[in-house]
Amino acid sequence: MTTSPGIPADAGVSSAVRHALGWLVFGNSAGLYLAMLLLYPSLQLADWTYGRWVPVHLNVQLYGWTSLPLVAWLLSIYEVDRSRVSRWAPAAVWAWSAALALGVYHWLGGVTSGKIFLDWKGGALWALMAALVILWFVLAAAWQNRSAGWNKRRRLAALAGLIGLALVPASLILTSSPATYPPVDRTTGGPTGSSLLGSALVVVGLMLLLPRLAAKVRDGRDRPPSGPCEWKEDSGSCGYQTASNDRDSSTLHSPDRCGERSLPFLKKIPGIWIFFGVSWIVFGVTEAIGGTHHDVHQIGAMLFLLPWVWWLPRDGSHFDWPEGSRSWRMAMFAWWGLLVVSGLWMYQPGVLDRLKFTQGLVAHSHLAMAGFTTSFCALLLVLLTGRRMGGAVSVVVWHVAALAMIVTLTVMGWGEGAGPAWMSAQPAWRELGLVVRALSGGLMLAVSLLWLHERRRL
Amino acid sequence: MVEGAVPMNGVALRAAVAVAAVYGFFLIFAQFSFVELLRSGGASLTMEKTALGIMAAAGIAGGFLAAWRGVTPVMVRIALGVAALTSSLAPFASAMPGALGVAAATGAALGVATVGLSALAPAWCGVAWVGVGTGLGYACCNFPAVFQQSPAGQAWIGAGFAVVGMLAVPARTEWRAMEHRKVIPLWGALAMFTALVWLDSAAFFIIQHSEDLRSGTWGEPMLWRNAAVHLVLACVAGFWLASGGARALPGVAWVLLAVAALAVNGESTRGLAGWFYPAGVSLYSAALVAWPGWFSGVNGVRPAAWRAAWLFAVAGWFGSANGIGMAQTLKQVPPVFVAGAGAVVIGVMVLSDIKHWRAALTVAVVALVAAFSQGTESPSPSSAMERGRRVYLSEGCIHCHSQYVRPGSPDEAIWGPARGVEEVLKGEPVLIGNRRQGPDLTNVGARRSEAWLKVHFLNPRELAPDSAMPSYAHLFDDGRGQDLVRYLKESGVSATASLMAESARWKPVGSGLGSDGKSLFGSHCAACHGALGRGHGPLSWHLARPPANLSKGPFIWSAAGENLDLRIARVIKFGIPGTDMPGHETLLDRDVLALKDYVLGFRH
Repeated sequence: MTTSPGIPADAGVSSAVRHALGWLVFGNSAGLYLAMLLLYPSLQLADWTYGRWVPVHLNVQLYGWTSLPLVAWLLSIYEVDRSRVSRWAPAAVWAWSAALALGVYHWLGGVTSGKIFLDWKGGALWALMAALVILWFVLAAAWQNRSAGWNKRRRLAALAGLIGLALVPASLILTSSPATYPPVDRTTGGPTGSSLLGSALVVVGLMLLLPRLAAKVRDGRDRPPSGPCEWKEDSGSCGYQTASNDRDSSTLHSPDRCGERSLPFLKKIPGIWIFFGVSWIVFGVTEAIGGTHHDVHQIGAMLFLLPWVWWLPRDGSHFDWPEGSRSWRMAMFAWWGLLVVSGLWMYQPGVLDRLKFTQGLVAHSHLAMAGFTTSFCALLLVLLTGRRMGGAVSVVVWHVAALAMIVTLTVMGWGEGAGPAWMSAQPAWRELGLVVRALSGGLMLAVSLLWLHERRRL
Repeated sequence: MVEGAVPMNGVALRAAVAVAAVYGFFLIFAQFSFVELLRSGGASLTMEKTALGIMAAAGIAGGFLAAWRGVTPVMVRIALGVAALTSSLAPFASAMPGALGVAAATGAALGVATVGLSALAPAWCGVAWVGVGTGLGYACCNFPAVFQQSPAGQAWIGAGFAVVGMLAVPARTEWRAMEHRKVIPLWGALAMFTALVWLDSAAFFIIQHSEDLRSGTWGEPMLWRNAAVHLVLACVAGFWLASGGARALPGVAWVLLAVAALAVNGESTRGLAGWFYPAGVSLYSAALVAWPGWFSGVNGVRPAAWRAAWLFAVAGWFGSANGIGMAQTLKQVPPVFVAGAGAVVIGVMVLSDIKHWRAALTVAVVALVAAFSQGTESPSPSSAMERGRRVYLSEGCIHCHSQYVRPGSPDEAIWGPARGVEEVLKGEPVLIGNRRQGPDLTNVGARRSEAWLKVHFLNPRELAPDSAMPSYAHLFDDGRGQDLVRYLKESGVSATASLMAESARWKPVGSGLGSDGKSLFGSHCAACHGALGRGHGPLSWHLARPPANLSKGPFIWSAAGENLDLRIARVIKFGIPGTDMPGHETLLDRDVLALKDYVLGFRH
């Protein structure tokens, strides 16, 4: 079975990419508007207040810009675009965007669960559930249609993935409920070190999977029998040319197909997976114990992230990554290192006590989203589509703007942490910081518009 | 080469001028000065509506007649000649029944001219030139010399536009081949442009019929700006259409108009409307003229004319009349209507390509699921405090204010006693927050009176000049503001005794040297106590009990006696619980002492 006639061979993935970039533009616009509101509160639009735009900004970045590349990844892994249901792949992406748009409508209407990043309630919550169910059925239909041609291990892994994905709607309903709340560090009112470890381990897992499902093992031992994989520069696609003339295997293997040969690679370096498992056990134990950032076991839990600063780039170096991915890969690892190291520093007693509730933690959120997550998503999009994500200038401008914003907010947070008087006693410095923040946001918005424009005809 | 990038030549330029002239005539005469002339002629509201109704009917009839007969350049020239004649005569025929004749002739001439131009334009120029013409037309009407002219003067300027248009209309009638055009079907164009014209007309009517809105959005200083925005955005629209943006452009126009329509509803945001309204109007106006010839899927003058006739009849005349009618009735553009217009525009953008029916189906499923699950929200609580908590949540107060005093931290000295984490976690949802753009609000009810809270919501910068908090005055248009105040007050009032004890323990360190007491008084105190400390500040009338006269007393809380300096400093720092006197918790000790010295100076 090949792609349905009349639509592009990667309609689902490219649709998800365009939607993701569209949401990035929208999220950045909302962020810039929020930055402007802090400078000029009179710009507030009647009922669409600052407090209602904040969840729009946060959730659009998370469920639009960050999640849709992952949706694209799923579509690629399950080969939806080459299945009998390929025409439904863009429809599933549209359903996702519709749910997010309804979310925006609800958040601007003041309908909120009050749970940051899990802000789904009422009609918006059920709209997202519907979108998740639609996506699941599309993936399941593609699995049913395509898995006969996969080896047994891949078929079972994909089935396990489907079973896991089937649990997502229920878990989202549970976690977004106002009745549930994660463990709290009673000295700060914020998350515990173990909670931070747990959420970071999810990211570590994705970073471990990324090269295995989307890049090529460097030593070539696991290459497919049908022929060598090569980067197709002239076609502008990321994939591997093989010798056969059969359509499924002759043209461009999408990167996910390269994952078929990467699973044996797990056996070669078990240490990384053992440590990954141990980290999860540490998370479970310390989460059950609870505690504060003054407790050794909570700081110790956070320390389990430190080896990943070195280990993930090291692990990635075992793979051949497609051309055009280098800048985003380097950026991703650099931001990741900065994220972990600064996170550890901020978690220390005395530091967290000073930075909690200040711009310093806002800076760290932007480090996570604008720095690391954007680099991860951009790398993923490069791997999935085989096209570069932005020219050198736009990539550099993005990172410089993000860094300027992060440094500025960190400095402001440090000053503010000395006492709330800083906010009112230093209006000039505060406003200067907010101006830098707004300018950085403006640059990032311009860059995201450029990226969207570049992908318009993908 | 894209269609819009045609080389500049005489025909294309003349086409752009013709488009500009027709827009200019329509805007300055038919939409503005004719109405003013009617009013100056003593027409009642009914007569005015009758005349405008006749103009609309004649416009629709003229458009369809032109499509039926087959539009030609000569027909367009004749129509513009009639338009020039009617607008020249209008100042002398502002009374009935002459005005009705002017209305009918103007409408018919406009109907023929607009349909003719739209259908013939592809024979004359690339679509980018339509954008240029649209921008020129709007820009000319916003020149102060034109915009601020008397109604009779504007009528003659309108006649001038029509004459220029008549001379500019090219003679060519053969369409050039166009390929790779994105098509929006007739039903889609009718729905989409009707929604946009409706939104535009409603916002325009509201702005035009409110003096402060009019001066705030297109008052004299803003006319040149508006002209520039119109010109630039319409040109952008033209080139955007030429590069294939037919379906995306109306969506962006809707976003701009939506912001403008919502912005006119708020006093503090009306300035935004002045930027967004002309931008949105320019974008869709260019697309409106371009659709019949370039994006309706037809190939030829005659079918394009039929498309244009339908479009201007439904979207132009019907959409405009209903937008104005809605604005007349409701006096505002309801957010739900703005959202509905957006749904129509975006729906057309998606559905206009039949290949997307699956996407349309899944989007519809998602929307229906959302619509049918709307009723899961629990009913409004009976107590004001619970309702206020909901307002706190829905307004996103948690994104700027925490409700968590960290135990054992300096928070306690400033924001009051900490609460046990178990108690905090009982809240559904938990309202800890994660960022403080402003103070922690756990105990704000013990630190601030209801009157102070309300004044602060109305205009935060009156009490805190550098505050980043916007005004929430709109919450007091209904009961939400009072509920929120009640919630904040009641949820923290139990901490009053602890705060008083903390106040009694506190002693400032150092002296007031280095701080300017007078300046601090002006920033933090004068709004209530007055610049001279006599209790007559501009906000004093909001308070149930007038602020203290710091010069003559009576000094209930700071009577002369032992530790007077310290007692006054404590009042400045922590306020007087139970009264409208707030604390100034974030002030440094030296500022408190400088203020204390300055306040004491009033007594001497």
